[in-house]
Order: sequence, then structure tokens, then C-alpha cells
Amino acid sequence: MSEPVSFLTRAETLLGTDEARAVDRGMRRMSASREAVMAELPWSEELRDRARSIRLHALSHLDRLLAQFADQITERGGRVHFASDAAEANDIVASILSSASARLVAKSKSMVSEEIELNRHLEAQGMEVVETDLGEYIAQLAGDTPSHIIAPVLHLTREDVGQLFAEKLGVPYTDDPIALNQVARERLREVFLTADAGVSGVNTAVAETGSLVIVTNEGNGRLITTAPRVHIALMGMERIVRSWEDASLILEVLARSATGQRLSVYTNVITGPRREGDPDGPEELHVVIVDNGRSDILGGPTAEILACIRCGACLNICPVFRTVGGHAYGTVYSGPVGSVVTPGLHGMDPWWDLPYASTLCGACEEVCPVRIRIPSMLLKLREVAASEGRLPGWLEKGMARYAKVAAHPSRWARAKRWAHRLSVLVSSRGWIRRIPGPARGWTRYRDFPRPVKQSFTEWWRSTRGS
Amino acid sequence: MDRDVFLSRVGQAAMRAPLPPTPASPSTLPLPATGSEDLVGLFRERAMSVNAVVHGPVVSTGVPTVVAGIVAGHGCETFVAWDDLPAPGVTASLSTGGCRRISHEIAAEHRLEQQLAYRGLDCGVTGADAGLADSGSVVLVHGPGRPRMASLIPEVHIALLPTSLIHRSLAHWAHRSPGLPASTANLVVVTGPSRTGDIELQLNLGVHGPRIVHIVMMQR
Repeated sequence: MSEPVSFLTRAETLLGTDEARAVDRGMRRMSASREAVMAELPWSEELRDRARSIRLHALSHLDRLLAQFADQITERGGRVHFASDAAEANDIVASILSSASARLVAKSKSMVSEEIELNRHLEAQGMEVVETDLGEYIAQLAGDTPSHIIAPVLHLTREDVGQLFAEKLGVPYTDDPIALNQVARERLREVFLTADAGVSGVNTAVAETGSLVIVTNEGNGRLITTAPRVHIALMGMERIVRSWEDASLILEVLARSATGQRLSVYTNVITGPRREGDPDGPEELHVVIVDNGRSDILGGPTAEILACIRCGACLNICPVFRTVGGHAYGTVYSGPVGSVVTPGLHGMDPWWDLPYASTLCGACEEVCPVRIRIPSMLLKLREVAASEGRLPGWLEKGMARYAKVAAHPSRWARAKRWAHRLSVLVSSRGWIRRIPGPARGWTRYRDFPRPVKQSFTEWWRSTRGS
Repeated sequence: MDRDVFLSRVGQAAMRAPLPPTPASPSTLPLPATGSEDLVGLFRERAMSVNAVVHGPVVSTGVPTVVAGIVAGHGCETFVAWDDLPAPGVTASLSTGGCRRISHEIAAEHRLEQQLAYRGLDCGVTGADAGLADSGSVVLVHGPGRPRMASLIPEVHIALLPTSLIHRSLAHWAHRSPGLPASTANLVVVTGPSRTGDIELQLNLGVHGPRIVHIVMMQR
């Protein structure tokens, strides 16, 4: 999965780098587009309420919806597989591919496949796996991990991509995005048309009709589910809604929240394999429904996070994410939603510190199209971390002492005076640049203005507010 | 894992889940009324904003000329088309103009050869089963005589959209046709040409699918 390094350590290596600046620029643009298309929609607030209800309704009826969905797929000639964990999911996919004698596998974007590290598993079995989303293709060539769920190589510049293509694909160097795009188009066109199988993710599944909804902008999600003989769809078990109407309402908010588009370019709705008389489409359709820790989340205090529709709006708006970028989280799901999902899927060890990678400013909840209460879930996970004794001893003792002081007016007043004197002592030319001792973290990356000479209470006493 | 074991674990977790209560069927609430809006005008504006080229509305007998003009303008030499286009005479007029039609029937045993023959395909002509004004999208319902590849492989995609099929939004259309996905192995909602922003978020058209999308609005 990932190295046992703390969020802080990873964040410190990224702080102030070109990568972090690129992320910040990108996130500001995506947030602005999101705001504009939501604002033009007269019923956007009502739509969010309904999207939330749809997702919560699906979660509380999850077993029934999955059963109905599986029956529908089977009835139309598709096959459904259930995987309780990553190892089982990988084995299922590998065995489908080997019984189809597949050697070349074309993939479209799938977060679940990254979560279970499918590519590594298939490559170990001698198969060639090619990512076909442009960003994912670049990340794969670079041997890098995606840094954002919607824009995977946001952290790379055009020059980086140009050098990579020249080096790995043997084409002349160019940093023109249009030319680079053309190189990828030609390379991947061959892969689409000759691949033995396509592996995709699922954005939303529809229980009543047994349909898979896969959205892409580039068209790779359509090509890999049309050209190869076998299509395997990997889906997290929570990615389901009751009806096509419900799905349509989710789609109305998904692209708007993700990239500021009204709809993605291609909303592809697949219901079973190719039918009698169809001129194209796959002969075989397999759907792999993956748990891998999700039922633990569902039965626990952060169940609501499974309502997430993976738009990335909370990443784009988050001041912490904007400052350090996705790689700081050290895991597939980054940003505010990832800080709740990751400890849930993979355990508090070593991920207990992710819920602390937040200022609790609430912007994530504000923009979430399904209004997930992310800050309160981060707090719940902090509670769990504290109760498991994961916090440093001085913090716990310090907080206990603070509680004693804060509960007593005269002690509070005295402490305040001391704090004020101390702050004057450690400041120079109007700024506090360094606090010594356990609180030094506060000033490592920022300065504070020195407090004014007269405290608010003193000013109030002397003037009565006038 | 066995289906029943898997689902019973999910069911137990769902029972314990501390989720806020929700209305029984949230999607049956009414959608905002569309009233007497100019859906054709809105469709045109929104489709153009996602880089589609919009023509018409034209009468159906005028469609072959419009399509032939588009094809000639891009210098297309080959095309693939749906068998049941909503306007008559389109494929005949393209063939007369010297554009060669590629067959779309892919027999399972010749799959690869047939697909590779698509490689140099210039143009795909399809109908449209709905238009969505809010997003400027066209809905293509695939099936016999209607290849998915026609709107996917060529450089240029031309969709013929009867104006009577334009709805307000995806949600409004889905509300009117709740069972539609079950009736076909594949349908796609197309919103402009293929695009990516993966390199420095710079807009780039035609990454894997068509670079150019024309929508010909027609009155039947």
C-alpha cells in the first residue's frame, strides 16, 4: 500500500514545490468553474438535497439493491462476481482474463483498480495492462501515481510530459499539448482496437435495470467497453442507485461538481453484453462487486462517507489539499473525502493522522453535491485516534491542564496575562516568528502578528465599548 | 465470495449504519416545470458552448444537402452510418458525392480485421433519440443497424436530431423514459467532441473520440 510515513513528513517534502503550485492553480480554476455552472442552475440546491436522499436511500437498502442489480445483469447474459477483499478481486479479474486467453488489457480509469493494485497483479501474471485515460497513461509511463481523482497528472507540467514521451515513446520532444495529445491518440488507438479485454470502473450502477453508467470526457471509457471481446467492470459495492431516474439526478450534479461541465462528454450506459443483431459491443460482460472494507465503514460511525459520488469538489476547495497536493496523503483517495475513506478501508494504522490533515473549515461540506458532513466525520475519527492513545502524551496532559484553567474565571484571567507577556517576549518587530517548546509547530510555516498592547477585556472595561 | 454470504454481511452493516432517515423514493418528486421555454434556442447555445457545430433546424428533405456539405467541407473520403437515419436520402447523397461507405457489421469471428478496417474512418453519421437542452447533448440508443463505433472512431461525427425530441435536461428525459436503459445493451449521451484537460488543464479536443461534432437539427 504505502510507506509508514506520516502525513506531515510527506507534506513537508511537497510544500512550496512546483508540484504544489501547479495543484493550487488547477484547483482554483476547477472550483471557479464548478461555482459558475451550479449558479446557472435554478434548482441546484434542491438538486443537491435530492442527490443526497438518493445516495442515503441506496446505502440503507444496499443489500437489496445489489441483489436486484445482480439478478438483472444475469438475466441479460452478464456475469456478476462478489469479492470480499482486494486479493479476491484481483484473483477474479485474473482468472476471467486467463480463461479468455487475454494478453493485452486496455483499462479506463477505475479508482477501485488502483485501490486493489490490479495492474501490478496482472503484470505479475505476464499480461500487458495499458491505462487509456490520457492522464493515467502519462502517470503509467512515468511510473508515477495519480495525484487527483479527476485530474491524475495535474502535478506535471507540459515540459515533463514532453520529456517523458520523448524518452519512453521515442518521439521528437515537443511541449505542445495538442501534439502530445496526438501522439497518445495514435498509440492508444492501436491498443483499443487490438486489446483482448477492457477493464473499466463504474460511476453509478442502476439496480432496477442492471445498468452500468461510465462517464468519460476522452471517449476511452467507450472504446474499451466496445471494441474488446471481453469487458470487465470493477465497482465498489456502494456505487449503486435504485433507478435510472435516480442515476440521472446524480449525473446532473456529478460533472458540474467535478470539472464544472454540465455533463461529461460521454455518459455511457451499458446493460448487459452485446445483444442479438447488435453490430458491435463485447461478447462477454463481467461485473466484479468489491467490498474490501466497505461493509466495515457502512456499519461504523463514518457510514455516510459511502454516499460520495467521487466528484473531487472537496479536494479542489480544500485549503490543505491546495497547499500540498494529493501525493501528501500517500494513498489512492486523497483530500477531505480520502481522509475519511482511507482509515475506514485500510485501518487506523498507519492512517490515523489523515483526519488531522484538515483545518475543519467546512468548505468540503459546503461544496459537496450530496452534502456529506465531512468535518464531523473527521472529528469522529480524531476521537477514535485519541481514544486509542495515538496522540503524543504532552498534548493530552496539556489539554487536561487547559481544561482546568479555562473552567475558572480568575485562573483564566491570570493565564491570559501571562500569555500576553510571553507573546511580547518572543516577538520581534511586531511579529512572532518562532514559539519554542511543544507548540513550535505553529510557527514552523507561518508568522503571527504580535497581539496588541491592550487586551479586549481591558479595552472593554475602560471604554464600555464606546 | 458466495453471493449470499457477501450480501448478508452488507445487509447487517446497513442495519447498523447510523444514516439519517430518507424519504422512501426520493426521485419520484416532480421536476421543475419546463413551461414555454425556447428549448431549441437553449440547446443550440449550450451545444455550441461545448464546441459542437449546430445546424438548422432544416426540413427533413434538406438534410442530405446539409450533411453532404459538412462531409465535403472536411474532405472526408469514408463514412459509416446508422441504417435507420431519421432523414431519407442521406447515405445515397454521400455515396453519389464520392464518399465511400464502410460496412459496420462485425461478425464475431472477424472481429479484429473488421475493427482494424475502421482505423482510417473519416466520418460517422447517426440519428439521435433525444436532445438535452440544458447540456447541449444528444442521446444515441444503440442496437441492430446502429453501431456504437459510428460516433466513436471517426474524426467527424454528424448527428441528426429531430427538434421534437429535445427535452429540458437529462433528468427530465430520464423521468419520461425510466425503463429505456433495459431495452438496449448500450446508449450514450454525447456532449460535444471528445476532450481532455489532462495536460496543465488545457482544453484539447479529439483525444480518443471525434474531434468534430456536427448536430443537424431537423423538423420532420
